[in-house]
Amino acid sequence: MEFFLQQLINGLTLGGIYALIALGYTMVYGIIQLINFAHGEFFAAGGYMGVILLSFLAGQGYLQTHPWLCLGGAMLLAMVFCAFLAMAVEKVAYMPLRKSTRLAALVSALGMSIFLSNGLMLTQGVYDKPYPAAFSQGGFEFGNIVVSYLQIMIVLITIGLLIFLNILVFKTRIGKAMRATAQDKVMSALVGINSNKIISLTFAIGASLAAAAGIMVGLYYGSVNYTMGFVPGIKAFAAAVLGGIGNITGAMLGGLIIGMVEIFGAGYISGQYKDVFAFIILIAVLYFRPTGIMGENVDDTRV
Amino acid sequence: MKKKVIVLMVAALILVPFIVGTATAKTLKIGTMSPLTGPYAADGNDIANGVRAAVAVIEADGGIPGYDKIEVVPQDTACDPRQAVAAANKLINEEVVGVVGAYCSSSTIPASEALAEEDIPMITPASTNEKVTERGLPYMFRMCGRDDDQSKIAGAFIKDYLKAKTVYIVDDKTTYSQGLAENVAKVLAGHGIKVVAHDHVNQGDKDFSAVLTKIKAANPDVFYMSLQNSATGSLMAIQAKRFGLKSKTVSQDAVYHPQFIEIAKDAAEGTFLTFGYTDKSKPAYKKYYDKYSGMFGEPGAYSGYAYDGAMVLLNAIKQAKSTDPAKIKAEIMKMDAVGATKHIKFMDNGDSGSDYVIWTVDGGQFETYWNPATGKLF
Repeated sequence: MEFFLQQLINGLTLGGIYALIALGYTMVYGIIQLINFAHGEFFAAGGYMGVILLSFLAGQGYLQTHPWLCLGGAMLLAMVFCAFLAMAVEKVAYMPLRKSTRLAALVSALGMSIFLSNGLMLTQGVYDKPYPAAFSQGGFEFGNIVVSYLQIMIVLITIGLLIFLNILVFKTRIGKAMRATAQDKVMSALVGINSNKIISLTFAIGASLAAAAGIMVGLYYGSVNYTMGFVPGIKAFAAAVLGGIGNITGAMLGGLIIGMVEIFGAGYISGQYKDVFAFIILIAVLYFRPTGIMGENVDDTRV
Repeated sequence: MKKKVIVLMVAALILVPFIVGTATAKTLKIGTMSPLTGPYAADGNDIANGVRAAVAVIEADGGIPGYDKIEVVPQDTACDPRQAVAAANKLINEEVVGVVGAYCSSSTIPASEALAEEDIPMITPASTNEKVTERGLPYMFRMCGRDDDQSKIAGAFIKDYLKAKTVYIVDDKTTYSQGLAENVAKVLAGHGIKVVAHDHVNQGDKDFSAVLTKIKAANPDVFYMSLQNSATGSLMAIQAKRFGLKSKTVSQDAVYHPQFIEIAKDAAEGTFLTFGYTDKSKPAYKKYYDKYSGMFGEPGAYSGYAYDGAMVLLNAIKQAKSTDPAKIKAEIMKMDAVGATKHIKFMDNGDSGSDYVIWTVDGGQFETYWNPATGKLF
């Protein structure tokens, strides 16, 4: 039982991170039907921004005195940075191709992914960058179960961001405009919605969530490197497809399921087949529900 | 038609001095192959830099007679067997006289087959898998130790010093890490120590919470961590500490890298590692250290072996006064000298002997800990 509960907590942490990244895939897909393969690199860029800012603050001595304030500030700045990065990528690599075939945009996305990860390698070097150690590595212990403060922090920040996103998409005017653009670009333009602006904004929101995930991963695992975006990117993409690509709630659910399946597969069967379990679930779900768990044929809830 | 031929011949005659002229300004090319990109890029660049440092030392000492310049041709293997073979073929086309590399055993083995077809000597600074020198290739040499020796030392340490009864083994499924883990399991079985489980993780994984929870539940005396990458080792150490793992951690040469401590910080403390013994007070080491740190900063785990490998190759060419592979080999086999990292003396199969000892992380530094030769602490 203890073993089960510990793995449940591990799965929740990992699933939360996947969910945050998956949202970016699903939102972009919902609005322009593009699988943005460069999304994993926004996650890596966020992690790097975090390490640069936090190391700077640690050098100035602020991190030691106000760790949470510094983390909040660094996270916000990294999110803003990645939002601008994503908007720039959208302008350069996707906007000119909006009227061409989907394949062209997809290839452009792959190219952008390679460009960004190599850009990270050239500017930040090939070595892993360690996060400064200002946050307690300890945690609560219930018998043999350990819940580290960082795990709690990740889960809380993830839930907070998910609630914020839901309010933004379903309760605000911007959200309404996003949903309208997702449904029909031409019609929404006719009623006065600037679709280019909305698409740009969607990229920005998705990338800023990925940046937050990048910082949390850096803090939790202790370091970042330039290849870090690839594997979580693939997993989060699988999560988005599993949940029903284009559907926000589906992406959250998909992320959680992939995280849980991985951890329980590794915990109860064998660590070497961890990735296999995640993808078996994906295939099984798609076999019975080709549109994913929450995916619907009538795309009225997607963004 | 005839006129054209004559014009061409005259033109060719005029060009001859230029061609001969450039040919006399001779450059000696040596190749290095290692993962310069990808997850093992840190170790890969250490190796390329070690070779560069050796070339700088040789050139400062007057270079090699008959050559104006020594050029290092670096190739990226990305720790991928296919890319390693492509890299070997590129080096063959570049007409290098010898190669220092590769890093991953799974790259060195196929690359050496390609180089063997052209009889190009290859000295690996870091591939510890036994098979590297067990294939009867005449021009394959190894600067570092071997995994069968390494696993014996790890086994002796676990049995004699840690007095462990149970061991949990985890590897990340590369030729090197899995091979070593299997060797260790065999040695432990021979000592009558129980291997509770032998689990695997994937390369590139960051989250080890599932496997660490399992280890914690099994509560072994020793956790044997066999990984291809020092950064992965750091992640595992950090998470193990967070889970409150009480087992002693024993790891190996690929995790022995300054990066391991830099990332894991206090979680690295008390980890035991098998790595070759280097006397850091001898002049040969100082000479290497000064040159390397002046050029590239603090050396990595395999920089020293790469430096020694390049030194062996270049000195052999200097002594042989030739780039003929057979003559280079004859000189290499004759060597009996003090290198930066170890005593350089090659055996018939191309190995240069293993000198593994147990290191530990103490106060943010790698320190020698246990000497298998005496069975005592340093």
